[in-house]
Amino acid sequence: MWTWFRISPLLRRRIARFCQIRRGFYSLIILSLAIFVSLFSNYIANNRAIIVKYNGEYYFPTYKFMAMEVFGQEDEWGFTDAETDYVRLKKEWEGTENWVMMPLIPFNPSQNDFDFYKDKDEQPIPPPHPPDDRHLLGTDSQGRDVAARLLYGFRLSIFFALMLTLCGYVIGVVIGSLQGFLAGWFDLTTQRFIEIWSLLPVLYVVILLRTVVEPTFWTLLAVMLIFEWMGITYYMRTEVYREKTREYALAARAAGASTFRIVFKHLLPNCLTPLITFGPFAIIAGISALTSLDYLGYGLPPPTPSWGELIEQSMDSSNRGKLWLVLSPFVALTFTLILVTMIGESIREAFDPRRQSRYD
Amino acid sequence: MKTLFASAAILLVAAMTHAEEAPAPAATLPEGLKWQTNWDDPPIGDPEHAIKGGTLRDAISSYPKTFRVIGPNSNEMWANWRRNYTEFSGLVGRHPNTDNYIPALAVEWAITDDNKSVYYRLDPTATWSDGKPITADDFVFGYQTALNPGILDPFVNQYTGDVLESVEKIDTHTIKVTGRQPSWRVLEDLGIFPLPAHVMKIEPGWEVATNYHVPVTAGPYTIGESKEGESVTLVRNPNWWGYKNKYYAGLYNADKIVVRVVPEDDRVYDFFKRGELDFIQVNRARRWATEMDIDIFKRGYAARKMLFTDTPDGMSGIGMNLNTPILKNKDFRKALQYMFNFEELNTQLMFNAYFRKVSAFDGTEFANPDLKPYGFDPRKAREHLQKAGFTQRGADGILVNKAGQRASVTLMTGGKSLEAHLNIVQNTYKKAGIELKIQSLEGATYFEKIREKASEAFMLSMTGGFYPEPFQYFNSTQAKEPQTNNFFAFSNPRADELIDIYRFDMDKQKRLDAMHELDAMIQDEAFYIPFWNAPFIRFAYYRWIEFPADYFPKRTESYLDYPTYWINEQKKADIEAAMKENRVLAADPVIEVDPHGVKPK
Repeated sequence: MWTWFRISPLLRRRIARFCQIRRGFYSLIILSLAIFVSLFSNYIANNRAIIVKYNGEYYFPTYKFMAMEVFGQEDEWGFTDAETDYVRLKKEWEGTENWVMMPLIPFNPSQNDFDFYKDKDEQPIPPPHPPDDRHLLGTDSQGRDVAARLLYGFRLSIFFALMLTLCGYVIGVVIGSLQGFLAGWFDLTTQRFIEIWSLLPVLYVVILLRTVVEPTFWTLLAVMLIFEWMGITYYMRTEVYREKTREYALAARAAGASTFRIVFKHLLPNCLTPLITFGPFAIIAGISALTSLDYLGYGLPPPTPSWGELIEQSMDSSNRGKLWLVLSPFVALTFTLILVTMIGESIREAFDPRRQSRYD
Repeated sequence: MKTLFASAAILLVAAMTHAEEAPAPAATLPEGLKWQTNWDDPPIGDPEHAIKGGTLRDAISSYPKTFRVIGPNSNEMWANWRRNYTEFSGLVGRHPNTDNYIPALAVEWAITDDNKSVYYRLDPTATWSDGKPITADDFVFGYQTALNPGILDPFVNQYTGDVLESVEKIDTHTIKVTGRQPSWRVLEDLGIFPLPAHVMKIEPGWEVATNYHVPVTAGPYTIGESKEGESVTLVRNPNWWGYKNKYYAGLYNADKIVVRVVPEDDRVYDFFKRGELDFIQVNRARRWATEMDIDIFKRGYAARKMLFTDTPDGMSGIGMNLNTPILKNKDFRKALQYMFNFEELNTQLMFNAYFRKVSAFDGTEFANPDLKPYGFDPRKAREHLQKAGFTQRGADGILVNKAGQRASVTLMTGGKSLEAHLNIVQNTYKKAGIELKIQSLEGATYFEKIREKASEAFMLSMTGGFYPEPFQYFNSTQAKEPQTNNFFAFSNPRADELIDIYRFDMDKQKRLDAMHELDAMIQDEAFYIPFWNAPFIRFAYYRWIEFPADYFPKRTESYLDYPTYWINEQKKADIEAAMKENRVLAADPVIEVDPHGVKPK
């Protein structure tokens, strides 16, 4: 299987060229790091502890509900079967052998931090609260930690965009290549279908569907995917059209290779340029689409942490002047999009056929 | 949240079927009618101190789509101004402080013994805005027009046909109105309005041709100058016939009301701050709590008041569909009641501005005064959960019973307005081991689903009237049918009995007792978690606007309902001079006022 995509000398040159373009190279490193880190969001922002040592035993509650009785805790109503309050546990255990290791941000993204902020008369101060030691980026209008929501929101949007792009590419590449290779009636009908289908405005269709069913991550992905695959077919189709007349393709055919083998083993590796160069921009489109949908209130259901929802909160007139609500999602979104754009630009440059090409 | 489904309650009334049209007999006045009137209540407003004159600058969020009083688009935002200032169409009014009937276009009325018909004697001095007298013919014409499909308002057609059997002229100033069914509230039910028979013609295309014609109306104001998209000016008729009626003498004092189009609420406040509007109603708790500590108030140019009022408020809160397996269990429902933490929502999201609702008939005399809300009480919630069999927490922290059923309910909503509140409710429930899933749909889809009873729990937001409508919400015949307003699928033979007493019994005390019992039953059955209400109006004004001692009457929902204020031109000159010179005047420190003694405890 790997031999199908073994690195050709040309590709190696292109990768080397990409690494030379600093801004793209570093952007790729930063973004990959961010994605990798975001995989561990539950260990970075969570109200559940990472490790608890209690009576000589170790507990790892991050992905597990652990009742208060496990650690001998009791809530204000005297119950012991509620979820453990690890932050309080940490305080209670100060100076004992037992200890709790809390994540960097000891709040989960949908936790309302209500009882902490009080004015001088002990009256609760309603959220949103500006940034301080407790919440580095402040809280939103439901008292939820903005940093935690940003982090989980990043994970969600980047993986949504990656999945969308990847799945869209798989479908698009298969259909586009077959169109180019088979040509004839298959090309004709599929192309007409794509032309008509692509006229449907994606966001409106999603909004319409939203009125009937409430989407989950996977249904939203599926709905967006219905439209996502078409873009790349145009390029694959033309690439394959061009490549299939070259000698190596004819040679493969003469040797009796199957359609599948010709298309995916011989032609595809030579048609990768559009795939790779358009990829980052497709990811950007995916992030933007999810953010806009969430902003408009047609995205993933609350309380899903999302950037669009944060931006929507900051646009609400009752949050006027609450800069931390505007700036955090704005900076995060801009930064992410710039990173991806720079990667995309650099790839495009590295793959520029005017610099190095297979055929001179 | 209150107006979301304003028309739902009326729709059901309208869904009752037509009976045959009765032929109109030559009507005469029967012997032995008991004529009633009421001139004994105090006037509305303060006719002794009120000064007529001046201009009030007001704002509306969109320019009227029509000035017509009937037909397409005549029921939009502008209708609030039109009905309260220009139309004045009631035969008999209800006094907003005493709740007694008071004369309006009719000075006397007599209800027949069968409680089906009412005879009205019209005020002979009443005239249209063009000076022509208002006669019985105008009422007959009004009735015929309301039945005329040519007005392109099928809802009015159907409603009128369903409720009224006939409107007959006895003589120039006497009419007889007959309803389809006898009713103890016959004066309320037989809604009828006059239209100017001498100028109005319903013919094809009339609705476009007369869209922006100044309508001939019976009220104290007519439309003066209007600038499309910018403003509408209402001009007072100083010789309005109604000023001779003691109840209305103190109202309608400003000579001119300039209603300016300001699309955004924030902009309205900005204009007020700049002194370009005289009066604003403040509906947002956040604004009232955090944005109003500003110079115009501190320097005494303007003042703001939170006036407690007592108005009917329909059900709003979480409803439960009793067909849902888990919600069939009363103990589980009670646990949901006890885990609802209103105080937290009120302090954290609503600036402590609101009051907990208790009754299903909130703000009416039919609300049981002895009911106490289910407070937030995790201990009691726990007891009920255990009784319901939910004793063990599952791996995800959600309770499960022996049969493996999870303590999980889906709540269907039809809008985003309470999203933040519900997220918090969800978190509170989760602490007790109850999973509340929130399913948010588009408004129309959501409403269809809850009427089909295709939901588990659901958000409720209904409007309420002076007389509640328990039949459509709680009657058992409505419980089994799809597409009814008994979203709860609640059915109880005793409740049916009580509803029938309320609907048909002529003894007022019996009706009250029945409704109080029903109210207590609804609370005990625990299928409705009432949220909160706002039993007040909050407004700010420049202090050249003056008010009676009680500001607005007890039954005020909007400042437009009863224009009791007047404009003191002398004071206006003084304050404007002070504003120019930046002089500080004595501020008005009183914000909360409760002249009617209706503030909830």
